Amino acid sequence: MVASRREAARWWMALIALPPLLATALAVNGWRNIEELSRRGEWQVQPVAADQVFAGAGWRLEQARLIGDGRDTKQIFPGQMRLVIIRLSAEAKRDIGEDWGQCQLRLTDGKGHDWTPLDVILSSDLSRDLDPRAEPLPGCSIASLHPPAKGESMLIEEKFVLPADAVPHLAVRLSFASTRPHAISIPLALK
Amino acid sequence: MIRFLATIIGILTAAALLQVFQATTPGYAQLTGPILTSGAQKDTVSSQTFSVRIDKAVQAKTLVLKRFSRTIERQTQGTWLVVSAELWAFQETMPLAGASIRGASGRLYVQTHRADAAPQLLSLKKVQPGLPTTGILVFELPEEEATDMTLILSKQASPRLEDEVHVHLDRGMIESRDKVEPGNGGI
Repeated sequence: MVASRREAARWWMALIALPPLLATALAVNGWRNIEELSRRGEWQVQPVAADQVFAGAGWRLEQARLIGDGRDTKQIFPGQMRLVIIRLSAEAKRDIGEDWGQCQLRLTDGKGHDWTPLDVILSSDLSRDLDPRAEPLPGCSIASLHPPAKGESMLIEEKFVLPADAVPHLAVRLSFASTRPHAISIPLALK
Repeated sequence: MIRFLATIIGILTAAALLQVFQATTPGYAQLTGPILTSGAQKDTVSSQTFSVRIDKAVQAKTLVLKRFSRTIERQTQGTWLVVSAELWAFQETMPLAGASIRGASGRLYVQTHRADAAPQLLSLKKVQPGLPTTGILVFELPEEEATDMTLILSKQASPRLEDEVHVHLDRGMIESRDKVEPGNGGI
C-alpha cells in the first residue's frame, strides 16, 4: 500500500511537471529562433559617427556618382532609370579576420525601399565602359574575402540601378553577419 | 473493473482526440507555403511585394532566335508559349527565380533552357523598386496542356512564406502563330 502510494505520488509529480517542462522547451526553442532571426535582419540602424569602428574598421563615403541624367557623364538613360556608383573607404582598426562575412550593402531611401548592388560581372563591365584603363574595384562580398590588415585602408565600390526620384533621399546601409542586427547608415547627399 | 473500464475509455478518448488534431492540423509545408495572389490575364495582379501585368501571350510551333547574327529555329512536338510581361517590385530589388506554367492536367512546366539565347528574358533580369521591368518568359509544353494554363511567378524558385502570383491565361487572349520571334522590343 505504501509502495503504491509512493508510486501514485511520483505519477502525479510527473504529470504536474509535464506542462512547465513543455513550456520551458518551447521557450528555449523560441528564444533560439528569435536570436537567429535577429542575426538575419538589420533591426538597429544607426548613422555612422566620425570615429566609429564598425566590424573592425572605420567607414567613410569616398565618392557617390549619379549617372544617367547627363551631368556626371554624357549618358542619358531612358525615363527614370539612373545608375548610382558609390565608393566606401574602410580603414582597418584591428585584425578583421572573418568579421566581414555575409556583407550586406544596400541603398535605402528611408521610405522602405531597398536596392541591392548589380552583380559582379555587370558591375565590372560598367567599370570598364566608364574607364577602360582603371582596374575595377572590389564589391563588398569580394572585399570580405580579403579584408585589409590592421592599419591599412581599402576602397569598396558598388553600383545600383534605381529611379531618379529616389536619388535625393538615398543612404548606404552596411552590415555583416558579425554585426547584425546592427547596421550603419551613411547618407549620399546626391541631388 | 470500473477503474479498468475508465482507463480504457480514457485511452480511447485521448487517441480519438489526437486523431482529430492530426487530421485537422495543416501540414508544415502548407503552413509555411507561398502566399498566393491570383488574377486574370487582363488585370494587373499585385501581391504585397510585386505586381505583374501580362502584355502579350503567344503560342507557336516554331521559336526563332537570333544569336551572333545567326538565325536559329527551334521546333517542338508540343507548343511554345512566349509571355511578355511587365513587373514591378514594391520594396526591394527582386530576381524572378520562380516562373512556371501550370497546365490543364495540373503539371508544372518551368521555363525552357532551349530558349536561353532569347533576348529580354525576365529570369536574367532583376526588378528594381520604382522601375518597371519588361521582358519575356518562354515555356515548352504539350499541346493538350495549353487548353488551360496559369502562369506562376515568384521571387524564389520554391517560395516559403513569400508571395507567389498566379495569372490565369485566357484562351481567347493568347495569340496563335506559326512562328514566334522574341526580339529586344518584345514579341
